[in-house]
Amino acid sequence: MAHLSLTPTSKLISSGFVWLLWIVLGFSTSHTHADTGLTVPQRVTLSPNWYTQELSISWLGGGATTFDLIILRTEFNETVFYETVSPTVNKVSGLHQWTWTSVNPLECTSLSVKICSRDGHTTSEWSQTETLQGNDHPNSEQRVKVFPQDKVLPVGANITFCCILDEGMVLDKLKYDGNTTSVTRLSRRTYSTTVFNLVASRQSGSNMLCLPEDKEKLYGAVVFVGYPPLPIDFKCETHDLRSAVCQWGKGRDTHLYGSQRGTRYFVNNRDCSEVNQDVGQKEATCTLDTWEGNWTLVAKNLLGQYSLTDTAELSHRVCPVAPDLLSVVADAWNASLSWHWKYDSYSSLALVCQVEITATEDEKLIKRVFSGVGLRSVFLSDLYPDEHYSVKVRCGAQQNFWKWGNWSKLSSFKTKTYVPDTPDAWIWLNTDNTGKVVWKPLTRRQSHGKLTQYEVFLWSPEENRALAPAVTLPPNNWSMPVNLTEIAFFSNNGSVIAKVTARNDAGSSPPARVHLTSVEPLAAPRIVYTDQGFPLFWENNANATCGYVVEWLDAFCPQDCPVEWIKLPAGTTNVSIESATFQPGVRYNLSLYSCSSDARELLKRWQGYTQELVPSVALTLSASQQNADILLTWKEIPLVNRRGFLLGYNIYNSTGYQFKLLENVSDPETMSYTAKGFTKGTFKFTVKAYTAAGENTGTTATVTIEPYTDWLILEILTSLGLVTLLLAIVTFTCYKKRKWVKKAFYPDIPEPKLPSDWPRTRGPLDVKPSPHSMVCVVETPEYDCIKDMLVAIPEEDEDDAGQGIGDESVDTDEPTSLRYYNQMVDERPIRPRFPDSSASSISSMSSAHTDVTYTGIQTSGSSLVLQLDPQGSSECHQPQLDRSVSYGGGGYRPQMQPRAPSDDMDLSSPESFLEPQAACSGGYKPQGSWQLDSPVDAAEMGSLAPSLGSPTSVASTQFLLPDGEENTGEKRQLSSSAASWLTNLLSSTKP
Amino acid sequence: MAGRSTRGINGSNGSRTAPARAAALADLLHYECSTLLELFRKKENFTEDVTDRRLVSVPPPSSQLDTRDKLWRIHSALLQCQKLLEKAVAKEEEELGGGKKGKYENKRKLVKERLPLLILSTGELLKAAEGTTSLTPSVEGLEVNVPTGLLDLKLWVYRVYKEVNYWSKTAANTLKDLPSVIVKEGARTTRARNRRSTRR
Repeated sequence: MAHLSLTPTSKLISSGFVWLLWIVLGFSTSHTHADTGLTVPQRVTLSPNWYTQELSISWLGGGATTFDLIILRTEFNETVFYETVSPTVNKVSGLHQWTWTSVNPLECTSLSVKICSRDGHTTSEWSQTETLQGNDHPNSEQRVKVFPQDKVLPVGANITFCCILDEGMVLDKLKYDGNTTSVTRLSRRTYSTTVFNLVASRQSGSNMLCLPEDKEKLYGAVVFVGYPPLPIDFKCETHDLRSAVCQWGKGRDTHLYGSQRGTRYFVNNRDCSEVNQDVGQKEATCTLDTWEGNWTLVAKNLLGQYSLTDTAELSHRVCPVAPDLLSVVADAWNASLSWHWKYDSYSSLALVCQVEITATEDEKLIKRVFSGVGLRSVFLSDLYPDEHYSVKVRCGAQQNFWKWGNWSKLSSFKTKTYVPDTPDAWIWLNTDNTGKVVWKPLTRRQSHGKLTQYEVFLWSPEENRALAPAVTLPPNNWSMPVNLTEIAFFSNNGSVIAKVTARNDAGSSPPARVHLTSVEPLAAPRIVYTDQGFPLFWENNANATCGYVVEWLDAFCPQDCPVEWIKLPAGTTNVSIESATFQPGVRYNLSLYSCSSDARELLKRWQGYTQELVPSVALTLSASQQNADILLTWKEIPLVNRRGFLLGYNIYNSTGYQFKLLENVSDPETMSYTAKGFTKGTFKFTVKAYTAAGENTGTTATVTIEPYTDWLILEILTSLGLVTLLLAIVTFTCYKKRKWVKKAFYPDIPEPKLPSDWPRTRGPLDVKPSPHSMVCVVETPEYDCIKDMLVAIPEEDEDDAGQGIGDESVDTDEPTSLRYYNQMVDERPIRPRFPDSSASSISSMSSAHTDVTYTGIQTSGSSLVLQLDPQGSSECHQPQLDRSVSYGGGGYRPQMQPRAPSDDMDLSSPESFLEPQAACSGGYKPQGSWQLDSPVDAAEMGSLAPSLGSPTSVASTQFLLPDGEENTGEKRQLSSSAASWLTNLLSSTKP
Repeated sequence: MAGRSTRGINGSNGSRTAPARAAALADLLHYECSTLLELFRKKENFTEDVTDRRLVSVPPPSSQLDTRDKLWRIHSALLQCQKLLEKAVAKEEEELGGGKKGKYENKRKLVKERLPLLILSTGELLKAAEGTTSLTPSVEGLEVNVPTGLLDLKLWVYRVYKEVNYWSKTAANTLKDLPSVIVKEGARTTRARNRRSTRR
């Protein structure tokens, strides 16, 4: 209860439970520590540092050196700190003090502190609880709700924020720079969050927002995260030899700006912050009135400070100010430059000064260095007349040089004019002794002022007088025509010199001298151009007292050529000629002249191209046929168009898609080529000229080789003549030997031997019919019976017959006489060779010759065609004979009717009419009126029809109509045709 | 509104009227202030819209207000906005500035320079509408309480920008809605006053 009386004034009456705990603890302590003798700490006081979050705890504690200290969050009674500490003791007052640093801002919530003395394991009773009231206390009048406010922290640090809500509010979230953070509840109304490893903040700081669910409320704090200052390169110097100007670099960006958080600078404790607040300026300066020799720079901000020092003597740190008020007094070739110094103290200072002169014309920079005590003027030589210049100066201490001072302002001036330089003159002569004196235009640097004119004198050195008044030419004229013939007249054939002078406001230039003498041309070897130009070499000429002149120009320029030249000093033996006017494909003549007081002399000459090209024009090509060869001729390419040294010609033959090189003519003088080995046809030839650069496009000529027409005609005529001659010989021979021929090929048919009782009178033909009803001339046994038949062909209408029989049944090529009356009808009376007519008949048949004609054996209707049985065709002969014999009277029966049908014959069948027996035994039946009903029959007939009705020749055993059998028919046709031809021939040759 | 705005600017006589010019100026200021707000929101990571606490105090809008009252209302609001803005810019520069000037600072400067032009235009219109007895509002006694905490300062600056944004838009709408007859009368009055001042 004593403890209860110790805490009557405690303001922490928030929780009955907590108080009950304290009471129990108090009782326990009083009983435990009643006899220890350790003094209970008295008069505990709490002193918070809100910004640093440090809580300074002090008490009176008797003789103990160690104390147990417990710190609790009052509201939730959560232990924040409980350790044995050794506080510092104020020996005068006996007050113990110990400082605790809180992670959370001290305003976040109330903290309760108790202390007890400790001696080893023995402790005293706990002191009275002292409480630091937080802002979450209901009685707190603080309106700020988020702690800490506006804190400045270094990069990488951690920070804990707490947010105290109003009564009844519910926290939604805490956000640091837009990111929601994790929340810890410290008390009923207080929430905290910790942000680790802070990054540098922006200029206005990073925001911590406390967002309750009530959107109307918004609390927060700003934290600035940055670096302490880190200045660099701190140096002090003097400009006026008295004061000090210190400079340094601001170093890294601290990320802290403004008058409250920005870096402040102090040099030797003088505040130099005001002039260095511009964050865009990386350099800072501070001026001290006197030279102190030692300087200390201190750079401070809320996160720390950094110091730099510098020590130096004044004479080692002199940096002169920029020279002022520059003035120039200029002459033609030089100028005097002077300036003023701001400080009189410079008059005794040894200075070194740098002068930069820039010529306006070519922007060329000239740097010159001068030195001297108190230097304030310099002499600038080697300038050009009539030239604009600008000049500036800067200086440094000559002794213990520290650094150059600033440049002065630019000062401009112009030099005076001067007489021009001697023109560079030369002469160009044409072949007719006319020419011109030429000189190179004077540049601005050579003119030394604006040129007013050129003057040319013709001077006789022997007479030492001018041959004519001076010729004045405007400044834009750089040549004068001359005529050596006329000049020779005036000079009495003495030597003449042209003197050329240029004039400006300052006067005339020294004259250029050119000897007006012609020179004999020399042979010009080729020269090869290199990267450095045309390399020319020659031996030194003792007469070249005033050097050499190398002249070059277009080799094919005919008149008044633009000549270029270069003058070389005496003793020179080589030079490389290069010119901006050189063009590829142009041949240049380069000439070396010696220069002496008497005359000019051509020493050497060369020819060359800077770059050879292919010829620019094609050849003029012509082609002609010469016998079996082709002659190609072309004309020379003009020199101007060659564009290189011509090396030869390539001759190509193009045949369709092929382009073949025929010949390489390596002699450029050759202007023709003969192409051989070409026969009849059209050929294209292309001739290309080539230089070292290659071929030109070439010219193509086309040649058509004509065949030998005359010879061909001659050959044809000869052949025809020979054939005609041969035919004539054969004809003649045949004529002469016609008897033999007739005998060999057409022997006379022996007359039939008639018996003596053969009636001589002409009576009705009563020839006893042969046993066969048809004439069957058989010479060869293979002949089938179909040949033995006689087929009557209508006489009047061949077409009809043809149609009736079939197209192929009649040999229409044969003459009618051969087809029908082709027999040689002997007019003589028939004389039977055998007494028996029957025998005669048989004999006649066996002889295969008969004089029987069939002139009357026909009808006006369709031909009667006797169709043989094909099967029986091969068996025809003998059975025929047999049947004819069996039938007996097989004589001639012109109107023979069809025989009566037999048992083995079917009348209804067409075959019945084709019975071999009927054919053979029926004899000739030309007027048969049978019609073939069936097309089959007709076809079958057609197959045999060609043989039917074909008469046989009286001289041949062959049928005159083709056989139905194709192969044999063809053969027979051929033999028949041959026989017919021969017959005709013989007939025609018969006398 | 846009159509009416167009008609106001390109009237039948082909010339812009004073209200149309003022409305165009208010539109422009509104656009610039919207951009400034957006820049500020991005700069400060204000993902949530902060509380809309009104800083400008004027009579509430009413259909009973005549043209002169409407002009007076927007003119008064813009005057308050100007005072708030000047204070906000100065305080922000003092507490949070000192660094390099960027897009935000340039836009802030632009808005600060254009707002007086709009105030001048509305003041002229108000004078024209009221005739010779001009009773232009004054902000002489207006007290501006600037928060002490830096976050509160930022929130306050943001609210000031929102006020400028709101009142520039309101001004544009009001100026576009002004009856043309009143405007013409106002214009005649303005010309008469100008003539009188010229005679003097």
